[in-house]
Amino acid sequence: MKYVPYVLLAIAALLFPYAVSQVFLHTPIEAEMGTAQKIFYFHVPLAWTTMVFGVVCGIAAGIQLRIRSERAEAIAVAAGEMVVLCGAGVLITGPIWGDATWGTPWTGDARQTSTALLWLVFVAYLLVRRYGPANSDRLAAALAIFGAVDVPIIYYAVKIWKTIHPQTTVVGSLPGSMWATLWLCVAAILPTCIALVWIRADQERSAMALDRAWIERDAAAATA
Amino acid sequence: MDITALPESESAAPGGEAESPENVKKVEGRDPETVRLKRAYESEVEAKVASDHQHIVWAYGVIWVLFVGYGMLLWRRANAQRADLERLQKR
Amino acid sequence: MHLLRQTWLLTRNDLRQELRQLELVVTAGFFTLVVLIMFALAFSTLDDEVQPRAVPGMIWLCLAFVGALTLTRVFDREREASTFAALLAAPVDRLAIYLSKLLVTLGVLLICAALLIPGLALIFPAAGITRAPMLALGVLTLLGCLGYAAVGTLFAAGLATSSGKNVLLSVVLYPLTTPVLLFALVATARLLEGHAETWSALAQFAALDAILLGVAAWLFESVLVGVGQAPAPHPTARSTAERTSR
Repeated sequence: MKYVPYVLLAIAALLFPYAVSQVFLHTPIEAEMGTAQKIFYFHVPLAWTTMVFGVVCGIAAGIQLRIRSERAEAIAVAAGEMVVLCGAGVLITGPIWGDATWGTPWTGDARQTSTALLWLVFVAYLLVRRYGPANSDRLAAALAIFGAVDVPIIYYAVKIWKTIHPQTTVVGSLPGSMWATLWLCVAAILPTCIALVWIRADQERSAMALDRAWIERDAAAATA
Repeated sequence: MDITALPESESAAPGGEAESPENVKKVEGRDPETVRLKRAYESEVEAKVASDHQHIVWAYGVIWVLFVGYGMLLWRRANAQRADLERLQKR
Repeated sequence: MHLLRQTWLLTRNDLRQELRQLELVVTAGFFTLVVLIMFALAFSTLDDEVQPRAVPGMIWLCLAFVGALTLTRVFDREREASTFAALLAAPVDRLAIYLSKLLVTLGVLLICAALLIPGLALIFPAAGITRAPMLALGVLTLLGCLGYAAVGTLFAAGLATSSGKNVLLSVVLYPLTTPVLLFALVATARLLEGHAETWSALAQFAALDAILLGVAAWLFESVLVGVGQAPAPHPTARSTAERTSR
């Protein structure tokens, strides 16, 4: 069980070169956007990973609050960090792609805005955990839950907001070969992120155990 | 369009009557106008592909830096925890 | 109902304190006027067609800033007098504390809105505020401020400690209140345009507020466990260098 994340990382490391070769050498160039569309093969899996871990963090935070589970708290922290990481990737590669294709880095459409806000909520989650007052781990958990709940709301609100202004379509329908490559890239990225979250959650649990051990040691030394 | 096989021929205006001798083959799309147009398209495509490649390199570079950076962060934290555990066990 | 009576008592207590010096209302109101004048200066050159599109943003941005300001101060008083711990130790339903603070914040926000919207109607006459249906506008303002206060009170309470470092509240507050602000922006824009489906938008907004209020009320109990007591003991035998590398 201890080696599961490393096995996942090894699998992902093997898949990555294959995925990259597929993306650049064996997938046809998209008719409308040209070569720059290749960015999308890593941008979209990152976006999906961000959403998945956002939900995971929200659920783990809920469990942490309900039954005071340390494991849930560790998973929530790790998932929160992964959301910030992948979200940063999405928010940087998205404008790069937009700049290459349409010359506009920020289109302001529903997806982009809600991803940016989701990212900010989870950055706030990490900041509150680190720099907040004494009881901030519970407050941060509340933040994560709100963040997970807010995302569909924000997406919907920006979507109806955008019907007042003209809308740009981001991704049309994809031919089969591109879907295959896309799933391959998902198969490379998702295990990597799962492995990293696993390792981080384990680290957080040992950090909490270490904290407790030190406190007991201090208490024992004080009473001795 | 009547065109001569010699590219430097000045009398090869589109639709213009060139002095085409009997034994010269007519080749489509080789008049200077079309050729210039095609070369202009090609340089535009080349510029776009070069710019696209730049964007792709930046995008993938950013992703790599983010993940490698996070990996290094985890590695450092693991080392710090190991050292801490040793100190705890020593006392 | 027990809860309502407790809420009313706590709210009355807060209002009574407020009425002594009107500290909250005066500072918030003054801030609103300042922002109003700054908007007048900054956006004086807006065309007539653009004004109905810009004014919703102005309304809700100003209310967001006033809200952040107010929330900091609502719990300031408790913090300075250390009455928060006493409040939490009292045999009072936690939800009543939440609701009473919510109502105070809501009150201040509504007063500022009452200053802001007529002011904007004067400065930007082409925006169509005077032509908009007043009832719908009032309901919309109420729903927006309620949603904002619902989310904000939860986190202001959680961050209200005696350390005095409240930078985090702004960091936390703006991303989380964005759904409310977005909905409010859409609804206000539609209202000013004279869109047909205003009341259905308001109904959706009310549903959103209900959800947010429910989630916040449910979380308030969990979040406030341990606030106001002494912080958990930190291990002392480690140097700070080790701690910062965690």
